Amino acid sequence: MAREIYAYKCRLCGTMHYPFRMVCKECKANDFFEFDPVPLPKSGTLLTHTTVYNLPAQYEVATLGLGVVELENGMRMLGQLNIEQPKIGMAVTGTVEVVRKETYDDFYGMVFTAA
Amino acid sequence: MRDVYVAGIGITTFTRLEFPLSEIAAYASMMALKDAGVTEVDQLYVANMGAARVNHQTALASAVADSLSLLPAGAAAIENGPASGAAAIKAGFQAVASGMDDVVLVTGVERMREVNNLEATDFVATLTHPLTEYIYGVTLPAHAAMFARLYMEKYGVTERHLAMVGVKNQNAALNNEWAHLQQEITIEGILDSPEAMTNNPFVAEPLRFFDACPVSDGGAALILVSKEKAQELGGPMIRISGVGQATDTHAVFEREEPTDLLAVRKAAKDAFDMAGLTPDDVDVAELHDAFTILEIAESEEVGFFPKGEGHIALEKGETALGGRIPINVGGGLKGRGHPVGATGVAQAWEIVTQLRGDGGKRQVDGAKVGFTCNFGGFGNNVVCLTFVRED
Repeated sequence: MAREIYAYKCRLCGTMHYPFRMVCKECKANDFFEFDPVPLPKSGTLLTHTTVYNLPAQYEVATLGLGVVELENGMRMLGQLNIEQPKIGMAVTGTVEVVRKETYDDFYGMVFTAA
Repeated sequence: MRDVYVAGIGITTFTRLEFPLSEIAAYASMMALKDAGVTEVDQLYVANMGAARVNHQTALASAVADSLSLLPAGAAAIENGPASGAAAIKAGFQAVASGMDDVVLVTGVERMREVNNLEATDFVATLTHPLTEYIYGVTLPAHAAMFARLYMEKYGVTERHLAMVGVKNQNAALNNEWAHLQQEITIEGILDSPEAMTNNPFVAEPLRFFDACPVSDGGAALILVSKEKAQELGGPMIRISGVGQATDTHAVFEREEPTDLLAVRKAAKDAFDMAGLTPDDVDVAELHDAFTILEIAESEEVGFFPKGEGHIALEKGETALGGRIPINVGGGLKGRGHPVGATGVAQAWEIVTQLRGDGGKRQVDGAKVGFTCNFGGFGNNVVCLTFVRED
């Protein structure tokens, strides 16, 4: 099964959240864990981007592309970019891959390529 | 609510310091205590972000209280990311304003050079959203870079404008003996000459080395007192007249308008409203220029210039010493350095120095009203303060 990144929909008012919240930012009325996970879309447009040269110690690469993507449903997320010449406004599509490795854990996140 | 005055200030040199963290804090604190002429305090707040993670020390305020023989004063450390300093000033303000305490020591301190540059960058990055930002390798320079790119696209800010902020602030530090960077730079050297791109490589595109503050160690301290105590101690009456603090989304991408810094706008407005002042009343300001783009954006959000016009005011020299609203005349974070927990207190230190007329070569003539903006997270926790000199 393909891995997904989830948004969280408030069971009371339907507002979508990413990242997860304990209390809905719209209705603010939730009891504990009153949210349903909904997979985020994987296509969108690039809103802004950077190439980072000075990375945290865990990264064994020279540079890392990062960007904020506005997804098809209007929500936004940050992801790694595997794009040679990123441009604001370009169409991108994401896959869920390992984005950070630590001693005992692999962390999965969205990696975007040109659509 | 009682009025709160700054009766003493102290600072260490901002640089790489080979002293234990608590000694750096104690040194700045001693200077402030001596400056105010007090040997006892009711309470101390120590602002710090990384003691546990970087220096393997916890409960820092207890260590500082004992080291300074301030026992049995109350003591607590305040960790609020890069806005720890001004958050501690706010706590000290509340303690005196409420009538609970008459004399409060507020000390900001950080020792980041104990670890290498990559570890320091990672330590600061731990303030980002753990699951939607940090795991991707986001650093504060990366956030600032993505923000800068949007600003360039939307408002016509260029690399040259960013370099102008860097040159202004780093060269201003030459007039501040406590500042970390003591090297003159020019637009030619960091942008225009054939060697410029070697001198000034990318940190996170489009931001370059000279767009970022250095990684520094250092401490700064204030003594906050009631009006009665301030009069008893004598000396210039510098009052903290406005305090504003606001928060914004933890994940930066979630903000509706990604070029807005709403917490800066709200914190500044609240501080000005409390003080009964407007941005036009400010004679000298300290903005949180951890990255050059932030000075431009904050100068708009706090109300000095309309949104999108900060870089135009910069071009006209309005933010330089001698301009309409001099910003970061002591070097800012860019030139003075940015020991994260110390910065908010160091900003207040500079403003009080200015309002006392002790600025020397960097003195803003006749400064009576000062303003600070201490920017935590990537704008998700901001504290603004106004200061007035009462004659």
